[in-house]
Order: sequence, then structure tokens, then C-alpha cells
Amino acid sequence: MATTETKPGNGKKINLPSAEDLTWSWSPRSERESGDAIVTNFFLHWFPAKISKRSIATSYSFWLGTISAILFLILILTGVILMFFYVPSVERAYQSVKDIEYAISFGRYLRALHRIAAHLMVAVVFLHMVRVFLTGAYKNGLFARQNRPLNWWIGLAMLLSTLLLSFTGYLLPWDQLAYWAITVGTNIAKAAPLVGEQLRFFLLGGHEIGQNTLIRFYVLHCFFIPAFLTMLFLWHMWRIRKDGGLACDDNLALNQKAQDAKPATSKTYSLLGITSGRTAHVEAALVDEDKHQVSSVPNLLKRLLIVGLLTFAVSSLFAVLLGSPLEEAANPFVTPNPAKAPWYFLWLQELVTITTIHIGKFTVNGAFIGGILVPGILLLWGIAQPLLDRSSAAATGVWFHPERKIHNAVFIAVCALVIVLTVVGTYLRGPYWHFFWPWEAWPVHPPRF
Amino acid sequence: MSKSEIKPETGGERKAESGESSGRRRFLGTAGAAAVAAAFGIPVIMSVRSCVPNVLYEEPQRFKIGGLDKFTDGPTFIADKRLFVFRDKNTFHCIGATCTHLGCTVQLVRLKSGEPGNDYEFQCPCHGSKYHADGVNYAGPAPRPLPYFKIEIAPDDGQLVVDMSQIADRGWRLTV
Repeated sequence: MATTETKPGNGKKINLPSAEDLTWSWSPRSERESGDAIVTNFFLHWFPAKISKRSIATSYSFWLGTISAILFLILILTGVILMFFYVPSVERAYQSVKDIEYAISFGRYLRALHRIAAHLMVAVVFLHMVRVFLTGAYKNGLFARQNRPLNWWIGLAMLLSTLLLSFTGYLLPWDQLAYWAITVGTNIAKAAPLVGEQLRFFLLGGHEIGQNTLIRFYVLHCFFIPAFLTMLFLWHMWRIRKDGGLACDDNLALNQKAQDAKPATSKTYSLLGITSGRTAHVEAALVDEDKHQVSSVPNLLKRLLIVGLLTFAVSSLFAVLLGSPLEEAANPFVTPNPAKAPWYFLWLQELVTITTIHIGKFTVNGAFIGGILVPGILLLWGIAQPLLDRSSAAATGVWFHPERKIHNAVFIAVCALVIVLTVVGTYLRGPYWHFFWPWEAWPVHPPRF
Repeated sequence: MSKSEIKPETGGERKAESGESSGRRRFLGTAGAAAVAAAFGIPVIMSVRSCVPNVLYEEPQRFKIGGLDKFTDGPTFIADKRLFVFRDKNTFHCIGATCTHLGCTVQLVRLKSGEPGNDYEFQCPCHGSKYHADGVNYAGPAPRPLPYFKIEIAPDDGQLVVDMSQIADRGWRLTV
């Protein structure tokens, strides 16, 4: 929107964009301009023109989805920079990570930021799932052509991708944590029925952990899984628009309809609204739009910026304060004692430890039960959730809706169990995975033979 | 809030055609779809297949571990092969140090009040599996005993040769 001004005096046309011309869409001076901003600005076009006050309230979503998206962005940026320095070779990987830590300017910060953002992302994605579940946001409201269950399934795939990204990521430094994590991880894959052996061979690129394995995990980590996750992310966001925003809007609309307010007579209907099968009578999702909605520009934008900056600030702070540990170089001959997975996999480590079952002479490996069966059942249960949930549309988008009491209770119980196992794995396990209370001292390592 | 669905018009055009002609169209349509599917599907299959290695540059499963005099009575840990070799005067046996649960390296732990012949056991640092000195699992998640491997004496230089591709019975011993 470069202004074309005719300056009085010389009569020449000057065609220079002013700062205001470049930023008008970010700081609109009128309702009209803020709506226009969404349509004409490339970066804003995927936002709705108007957004309900409820869906940008922190108390509903805690912005967890947004935070995880911002963390993913941080991870992509720092990750790509780290790719300049990291060498995916068994001989050189560990040294190149050491170089990043000690020789490259701000390398320590970059790696720490990459690592801490990954840890935070796992936590935030998990919490986001908890939020979606407890608000019943995987359920459709009454809008036409909604498919919130599909978005829940996309979300589950994104959670898995996040975990896989973390797993493939911490293998790359080729330190002790990395080596033994691959050992354990691929042996769990081996415990899969029927295809286990072949699956492990495929993952390792051989029978043993070596160069083939490292390069495989590197390519998965740097290309395939991020690309897959990006695709899922775009689909996830698109679906949110198609589903009519966050689920709390469904609830808002439903309650308004219950009040039987009159539809505005002067409303114009969008092509999108018409093609999605709404009639003029049910058209306005929010009958009393002005009361409940605000313009996305600047209201959504401002909050996005704040959440983004806070996310970056917190990850940066953690990165500077915590740094990122690097264990000894990978040593196939010595397993660290205790060998612990990162915190988000400790519940699985605890699970594979305690689930070996002996029935007479017959033994079922915990690798199968704890590593494949239980996580598999949990995943199937998560996938089935929208089908199992028979509560009414009124329970969509409301925290702890009484209609969903049992679902929420079961879900919280499962999450609590996972957290308990994580805590046991983190604080109560010592050398040889023996059980210790936190106040008990670990015995001095018995000398290795 | 009923979903209004507009059904695509079902063709008057097709009905008008003769049975022979529509049969040919269906055949050509199917063949075309199959060709497109093959054009995209086969390269995908080839790409996945290419990730299964045909040639490996791994260490052989059968290797020499040293002469008889390298081994004293009792256990010796051969780190780079993850093996324990046991000597009892002139008998030898060999137990793999890879935990049967999830593949970590088990460690030999001396028992404080051990009787002779039973003064140590194997413990795994990852998930706490425990094995008796004879490799039999008795605690923790390990599903099977540690494997025994056959040992031979190399005819050329008299060194011990371990063959990790051949799993032996628990009572198996090499007497020299």
C-alpha cells in the first residue's frame, strides 16, 4: 500500500513507502483495516479475522499449542545452524559436538537452546494434550463439517513425532547416553511380534550399532521426522480453522443459541460459510458477535508476540543456566551404571523393568509388554477416545465438564501413573536399577571386573 | 443443523453409452490408475528396499581371543567382544555379556559371602536383571539365561577361537 502523493509545488509523483505503509497491517487504525490486514498480509492470512475473547484467554488454553509451535520453530532454527558443525560420523560425531560446546562462538548456547527447547517441547506438547482432553476439545460441537476427532488424531501423531524427534536427537552426540539408548530402543523394537528382527535390522542398518545406524538416525532427525511434523502441524492448524476455532467457541455458540437471540439482519455471509452448508438462519456461529469477539489484529497478534517472546526468553534462560550435558564418548564395552533414559522416557524404562512375566517355565519379556504392548494399548485407547466419548456437544470446550467426569478421571489416573513411574525412575533408582529412597546413599560402585 | 450434501449428478451420459463402450472405458480407467499407482508406488518400494543393506562391513562372528596362557583361573572379561571367558584349570567356557532383556552389558559383581565356585554373579545396570554365575537369570526383567558360546583351539597358532554364531548348552565345556 505505497502511498502515491502529489507534492504541492514541484508536481512530481513520489513513490516511497513510509514505515506506516509497511506496518499498517500490524497496527490497524480501524476495524476495516484490521480485517483487511488478515486478508492482505502473507503472515497473517491463516488467522481468522475475528477471534472470541474466550479462546485467547490464557485460562482456557494456556497457549500450550502455540508455545509448542514456537518451540518447534526455535528447534528448526537452532537445529539447522547446528547442522553446519555436526558431523554424523561415528569417528567424528562426539568430537564435533565437543567443538560446538568449546570451540564455536556461542555454540554452547545454541546447543543448549536446541536441547532445552526439545525438552520443553515434549513437556508442553504433553500438557497441550492434557488440556485438550480435559476440556473435551476432541469432540465436535454443532457446527457444520467439523472434525475435531481427526484433529485429535493428528495431534497424537504429532506427539509421537515429537517423542521420535527427541529420541533420534539425543542419539546424535554419540556419547554413552546415545549409544545405550539406541541399544535399548532398538532392542525394544526387536521385541515387536513377527517383524521385530527385521525392524531392528532396518533401524540399525545392520546387526550392530555403527555408522549405518548413526546416519540413519541423523537423516530421520534432520529431515524425515521434522518434515512429517511440519506437514502435520499445517494440517492441525488448518483443521482448527475448519472446525471453527478452539472448542470453547463451540460452547459459546451453543449457549448463545440456547438463549435464542435473534440473528443480525444486516450480516453478510462469506462464500466459505455458504459452501460449508450453513443456512442464513444458523449462519452466525456467534449470534452476539460484537459482545464476544475482538479483531485478531491486534488482539491475537499481541498475545502471540508476548507468548513467543516469553517462550524464547524462558528457553534462553534455561539454556544459559543449565547448559547441556555431554556424557563420555560412546563405549560399547561399558554400560553406565545406572543407565538412565531422559526423563520423558523413564516411565517406559521403569515399565520395561517391571513387566517381565514368568508363567511357569514360559517368560514374556518386559521389552514386549512394557515397551510395545502397554504403549500400544495406551495409543489405541487415545485413538479410540473420541469414539468412546458419548457425552453431548455441551461438554465440548469446557474444563472438567460433569458429563465427562469418568473420562477425565480415567485420563488423569493414567497420566498420574505415568508421572509416578517417571518419578520412581528419576529419583528412586540407583546403580543396577536397585530401588533407593532419595535420602539413602547409593553404594560405592563395586569395582568393575 | 443438517449437513446439506449436494450429490454429484449421476450420469445420463454414461447410461446412454453402449455396454461394450463403458466396459472398455472402465478397463482403460483401471489400467490407467494402476499405471499411475505403479509409477509412484514402485519407486517408493525401491527406496525402502534400498535401506535394507545387502553388504555389511561388520566384524566376523568367529574370532581369536588369545592363547591359553592369557587366561587365569576364573573369569576374564573380553571388552571389545562383550564376553566372559572362564577358566577352571584345563576347562574353558564362554558366556556372552549381553543382557537378554534389552542388550546392555552385564557386569560381574563379586559377592561378599560367596562360597568357592559361587562367589560372583552378573548384574545389568539398565533394568536390574541378575544372573547366577552359570548365567541363569534369577531376578529382574531378563527373560532368558545368558548365552554360552563354543570355543575351539585354532589349529594354526593354538589360540582360543570363539564362535558367537553357535550357541552352546549350559553344560558345554572345552577341555584342553
